[in-house]
Amino acid sequence: MRSRLRRSLPFLFVMTALVQELALSQDQCLVCHDAIGDKNAALFKRDVHFLKGLTCADCHGGNAAKEEMEEGMNSKAGFIGVVKGDSISATCARCHSNAAVMVRRYKSTLPLDQMEALKSSVHGELSISGKEQIAQCTSCHGAHGIVPKTNRLSSVHPLNLPATCSNCHSKAAYMRGYNPGLPIDQLEKYRTSVHGMRNAGGDTKVAECASCHGSHDILPAKDVRSRVYATNIPGTCASCHADPEHMKGYNIPSDQFEKYSKSVHGKALLEKRDVGAPSCNDCHGNHGAVPPGVQSISQVCGTCHALNASLFSSSPHKKAFDKRKLPECETCHGNHEIYAAKDELVGVTGDAVCAWCHSEKKLKRGYEVAKAMRQQIDSLLGSENRAMALINEAEQKGMEVSEAKFKLRAVRQARLESRTMVHSFNEGQFHEIIDKGLGISSHASVEAAQAIDEFYFRRWGMGISTFIISVLAASLYLTIRRIERRQAEESTKSRQGS
Amino acid sequence: MKKFFSSVYHWIDERVELRDLVEFLGKKYVPVHEHSVWYYFGGVSLFLFIIQVLTGILLLLYYKSGEELAFESIQFIMSKVEFGWLIRSIHSWAANLFILAAIIHMFSVYFTKAYRKPREITWLTGMMMLFLGMGFGFSGYLLPWNELAFFATKVGTDIAGVVPLIGKPIMILLRGGEDVTGATLSRMFGFHIAVFPGLFVVFLGIHLLLVQRQGMSEPIEFENSQDTPQQRMPFFPNFLLRDLLLWLLVLNVLAILAVLFPWELGKKADPFASAPSGIKPEWYFLFMFQTLKYIPAQILFIDGEVLGIVLFGLAGIFWTLVPFWDRKSSEGIRNRFVNYVGLFAVFYVILFTILGWYA
Repeated sequence: MRSRLRRSLPFLFVMTALVQELALSQDQCLVCHDAIGDKNAALFKRDVHFLKGLTCADCHGGNAAKEEMEEGMNSKAGFIGVVKGDSISATCARCHSNAAVMVRRYKSTLPLDQMEALKSSVHGELSISGKEQIAQCTSCHGAHGIVPKTNRLSSVHPLNLPATCSNCHSKAAYMRGYNPGLPIDQLEKYRTSVHGMRNAGGDTKVAECASCHGSHDILPAKDVRSRVYATNIPGTCASCHADPEHMKGYNIPSDQFEKYSKSVHGKALLEKRDVGAPSCNDCHGNHGAVPPGVQSISQVCGTCHALNASLFSSSPHKKAFDKRKLPECETCHGNHEIYAAKDELVGVTGDAVCAWCHSEKKLKRGYEVAKAMRQQIDSLLGSENRAMALINEAEQKGMEVSEAKFKLRAVRQARLESRTMVHSFNEGQFHEIIDKGLGISSHASVEAAQAIDEFYFRRWGMGISTFIISVLAASLYLTIRRIERRQAEESTKSRQGS
Repeated sequence: MKKFFSSVYHWIDERVELRDLVEFLGKKYVPVHEHSVWYYFGGVSLFLFIIQVLTGILLLLYYKSGEELAFESIQFIMSKVEFGWLIRSIHSWAANLFILAAIIHMFSVYFTKAYRKPREITWLTGMMMLFLGMGFGFSGYLLPWNELAFFATKVGTDIAGVVPLIGKPIMILLRGGEDVTGATLSRMFGFHIAVFPGLFVVFLGIHLLLVQRQGMSEPIEFENSQDTPQQRMPFFPNFLLRDLLLWLLVLNVLAILAVLFPWELGKKADPFASAPSGIKPEWYFLFMFQTLKYIPAQILFIDGEVLGIVLFGLAGIFWTLVPFWDRKSSEGIRNRFVNYVGLFAVFYVILFTILGWYA
């Protein structure tokens, strides 16, 4: 197969040269402009469009077959000269959005919606001049030396794209006109990232700008349709990182997305659509994406879990973890597969993580503290459940217990606070929070119990009042009967008398 | 003890000539016939109104009007004030029983043609009191400022706003603005504790005065009966004691309802929240509400809702003016048409109330 290809190479070379010569002979514009040393003419000779048989006149108008300049570049012949503004993209779209031209004539597999995508993208918005859209096709692809993006010379080749984008995005003065809040150091950061370093080293598989942001259809990060909108980021990263075939050779797992989706963060972001929940870039960075190191993990988690991080930093564990080079938060909570912090994580039995290092024989003090903390958590939870049961019972009986219910929220709050306070690993401070919760819980229980007592008091009251009213009603009934009997007797007597 | 009461009686008699009143009551008789039972519903309505006034005054000691205070003050009454829950529950239950008793009283008067000459004014004042009673219910419903009341008032005042020409000004008057807000609450509170009670007492005074002055109406058949001797019972003490006995029983029913089915407070109104599903007015407005739901949006060139409201308005006027278009009854002639109209009204109200209840 390879030898057959080798044998046909001279033939192909000759054929290409012939096609080029034939095209050149048909494009009198190029003949002259090439002759006068026009750089654009030189570039156009390697342009994919030239190779497909297009002439200068196909974009600039006029008649490329005419040798005389006055005839070829005559406005009556449709000559428009340098194409400007939105006409640039419109000129490209004349063919690139036309299925008859692209598919039938050139057998192209390029998508036909690039122009539409560009128009609806952030780059399709009106520029500060107010006359044209921000970017034209030529802004990224160039004008006369366009080659397929797989060609190393293409401005949109994966290895060239970061520089192409930074032509605008790294220019402070230019970007200020559109989005002063947008950083202009993306390329700089990118070059410090694993992606950027590998890209600089010639790896075309790693992510560059278009891998995450898209190409023609780039949208602002705040747009829910954007590939880099908070809830879409995990999916965007996963398009490479969850593909074992793609990740082959990088020696990193491809199950991060699967794990993240099951984690408390993933569920919050992907299921509850809570955009405050961390996505991949919140821990790894975006343009400067690198895995956080052992030293920086608590800083990364601490950007959101500030109190936990601060308590941990001043706890005895900080020194012990540093000494053993253990990643702080990750050691107990994991990384991508972080589950909701349950009370069961603390203690010395079952799922408790403390028991991984502490036992009755090894690091005993920590073992005792963990055991005591767990007992206190269980006692607060038990107290909360008892109060809740009493409140529910009172509520089912139709009693007004909104105040007790409100107190129950404070108990739950204390339990959540205790989960944070665990990170101090200080039994005294922890006990204080638990005590506060137990106190409120006890008050709520008393109020609920009083409401239940009140319920029975009301029932008894109703019974007694019904009895009294019944006695009164019976007496009244008897009185009426007595009066009417007497009236009847008197009436009979008076009738007999008369 | 007897001597004490006797001296008290004489003390008052010397000053206000009580003897005349006692003699008047002694000579007052109530007809006894197969429809006598309906006489008691007027007394029951009066008793429930008295309960409303008493419990209303007690609630007023703790109730605070205002968007930020109304709900909380009711919550306070129900959870902290001694027997506050009982007073509020009795007030709410008695309000509903009052409307029920008044409706039964009204229909009994209608079917026994007690409205006929010379009792036209008694009927008219009674009808005014029934409308005011409904007004009491509507205005009082919003006072706890809970979710259900908020949206029911919104729907209710929206319906009022549909009436051509006068609807919009009425809606603005009821709401104190374009929307149901704290201003609406203040207005409803004002209507509930000042405007309506003031008007009601005037009508009640005339109504009771006329009942005492003209005595109980007798059915046409009773009046015309020649064969059987007409039976009558003394108003005092026989009828009054029977009334008292019934009042005691009603009081007991009220206490049982208030304890077994305490009136719920629900959630505090949130004007920015979406309306909860199944918003319905009080049961006595349900038949109208349900009818409006069945009327098509457009009938010929008239808006269906407008047509419904106008028809109900006309029907109400027609019903209220029955003493003036039913001439036959005033002349002692049976008028079957009145009965058919009444039966249709009873059947219609019951059917559409049931449909509305289970909708």
